[in-house]
Amino acid sequence: MRRRRVNPAAGARAGAGALPEAIAALSRSLPSGPSPEIFRRAKFDRPEATSALWQLLFRVLSPLPAGNALASIALEVQARLVKSALCSQGYPRLALAQLPEDGSQGSRELLLALSWLLARGPVPEQMLAQTRVPLGDEMTVCQCEALASLGPPAPHMEAEGPVDVRHVQWLMGKLRFRWRQLVSSQQEQCALLSKLLRTLEHESRRLEAVLAWRRSEPVFWQWMDTVLGTCAPEAPAAASQPTFLPWVPECGDGELELVVRELQTLEEELQEAVERRRVAWEAKARGCGRGPEWSAARQAFRETVEKELGALQQCWEQDSGPAPAHGPHRLVRREDGAAGDQDLRAAELIRTLRSQEACLEAVLRQLQGQCRQELARLAGALPGLIWIPPPGR
Amino acid sequence: MSIVTVQLGQCGNQIGFEVFDALLSDSHSSQGLCCKRENEAYQASCKERFFSEEENGVPIARAVLVDMEPKVINQTLSKAAQSGRWKYGQHACFCQKQGSGNNWAYGYSVHGPRHEESIMNLIRKEVEKCDSLSGFFIIMSMAGGTGSGIGAFVTQNLQDQYSNSLKMNQIIWPYGTGEVIVQNYNSILTLSHLYRSSDALLVHENDAVHKICAKLMNIKQISFSDINQVLAHQLGSVFQPTYSAESSFHYRRNPLGIDWHVRPPLSGPPSLGKMSLNKDLHFNTSIANLVILRGKDVQSADVEGFKDPALYTSWLEPVNAFNVWKTQRAFSKYEKSAVLVSNSQFLVKPLDMIVGKAWNMFASKAYIHQYTKFGIEEEDFLDSFTSLEQVVASYCNL
Repeated sequence: MRRRRVNPAAGARAGAGALPEAIAALSRSLPSGPSPEIFRRAKFDRPEATSALWQLLFRVLSPLPAGNALASIALEVQARLVKSALCSQGYPRLALAQLPEDGSQGSRELLLALSWLLARGPVPEQMLAQTRVPLGDEMTVCQCEALASLGPPAPHMEAEGPVDVRHVQWLMGKLRFRWRQLVSSQQEQCALLSKLLRTLEHESRRLEAVLAWRRSEPVFWQWMDTVLGTCAPEAPAAASQPTFLPWVPECGDGELELVVRELQTLEEELQEAVERRRVAWEAKARGCGRGPEWSAARQAFRETVEKELGALQQCWEQDSGPAPAHGPHRLVRREDGAAGDQDLRAAELIRTLRSQEACLEAVLRQLQGQCRQELARLAGALPGLIWIPPPGR
Repeated sequence: MSIVTVQLGQCGNQIGFEVFDALLSDSHSSQGLCCKRENEAYQASCKERFFSEEENGVPIARAVLVDMEPKVINQTLSKAAQSGRWKYGQHACFCQKQGSGNNWAYGYSVHGPRHEESIMNLIRKEVEKCDSLSGFFIIMSMAGGTGSGIGAFVTQNLQDQYSNSLKMNQIIWPYGTGEVIVQNYNSILTLSHLYRSSDALLVHENDAVHKICAKLMNIKQISFSDINQVLAHQLGSVFQPTYSAESSFHYRRNPLGIDWHVRPPLSGPPSLGKMSLNKDLHFNTSIANLVILRGKDVQSADVEGFKDPALYTSWLEPVNAFNVWKTQRAFSKYEKSAVLVSNSQFLVKPLDMIVGKAWNMFASKAYIHQYTKFGIEEEDFLDSFTSLEQVVASYCNL
């Protein structure tokens, strides 16, 4: 493992407290990162730091999303997975592969492995992307022409005739009920929004940690150089390294061949069936008759079919333009203004949505006016009845 | 959306335990007869409604337990904990050290106000745990003493403090030949108070459930536990997630969103062109019916018979009065099951009987002093009689 080239001046500029801060930023930016104390102990190969580092490596290397399931996997299993993952990525140090899996020793090796991973790629950023909160920066767009239907149809009102006051009371009850449903939906929305806010705050803190880590990285690498220095030099015995190939189940060529043969038989059968049908049709067509009317008819058919085919093709070419956007879109801020094919501009979308809103509001006002008229008519139909509207809420 | 359950008195607590147990064991049942994804949606919906999640994964029932003596509550808590699959919250119960002689007036006028703050605090804590509150489910008996009195008081408080939330009271209609002398007084007081402050009264009659145990299930020695389990089974099959016509892709969000219309309109001036007669009750007229189907072949089930206009009042179209909820997921290992929840004239006779008996006792002022001693005056009795008579009349005139 080569030493990473580090500008020593950068490290010298940082003060004495810079190293713990750098490590603290690193561990904050990783999911469930261990404390700086663990790192310090690992430099001196203390056994108590081992299991924390196995678990951290497992989180970093595991392809599964985080969850309760991960926590319940035994340490030995985690260690084995870490070893095979590192090996398949080409980790050069033999000593790691030979570590015991019970977490009793090897914390320095694990620390070296972690720093190898950190040097290879932007690990904290990758971990952040994995656990990204999708709700804050995503929205669903639906530009489909057919707007969803306007809810269940209103109960049918008798145009003429006496109205039973009980029916009206029933309607009032229904209205009150819907109102209360609306209120509780709004309350739910508030609760969920505050939950969302808290998750976003958590994510912001992680982001800040990543930024702090990037700023103080050089200090960390200087320190890692000293860690590497305390290790015994390794003999490059690459040739004798056992290769951990990913285990492929022995499905065997035999099965594949069987499948291939079956598919070939099926193809032959289908071709035969097609041939038979074509022969039968041609016989029928030939037997349809000759004569000028027949050939004229055939000509007419051919022309119609060609026209339809041309129309279809045209239609298809038109349609293959940008389809109406549908589904979740991510909000991305772009400075250069260049937009891809599938991208929508926020300004355009806002304009469209505003005009749709205006239309819907107009429809709502119209419907409300209609309801008011209807109520007034009903009130007039029952002389002697006093209407007391509910108190405005 | 979540429901907060309030279990009141011996009856409410025993039934409440059976209900939660039935809901959870159905939710975990392996014989759902549906695909895995469907089952997972069902389980998630059931969990969100009735249970909150704790760190170690044991679901905690969203419930508040109230009783004036500790015995039944302690039994309920330990039975739940013993099951290992769910439990009640540690601080979710309120009880006093001493009982208090089965007196409705005492429960309503003394216990209620005295412990109002503590009980409402417990309820508020449960409500705060919910992301969204669908409403309250209050389980109580109708004819008991303290449980019923406190139940009426608590429901009134819920009406004041959570006026925008729905409340459904599960009330147990007492045996016709019950043991408590003043059960008819208690019943009419409970009913008239609940009628004002609750949104829906879901009634189970002890006699009817007893018959189910005896005739359909052939149980020889019927205990309260048997009765409560039948009750819980019926309630579970109403409350477990379903799809309705409006939301066919997600489980209905609001389980209490049943248009009960429990308050039948008071019979006012007869509508033009119609004479209101006292018809003979030869047919059970309904204001609203809800059919819930679960299990195999629900999509092809024929419910046209329920849409017959003859079943409903003249001023309501069947399309507005009848609802069907369905789900393929079977309930509690029954390959097919159906439940009918009905707001109809069915309870007029029993109600009329209770009111009649209570009136007879009242006419001779029997046992009234037990109530006047604690603030329930004769005027309150008269008010109750009046409002219940009105209910009977409105239902008769459907």
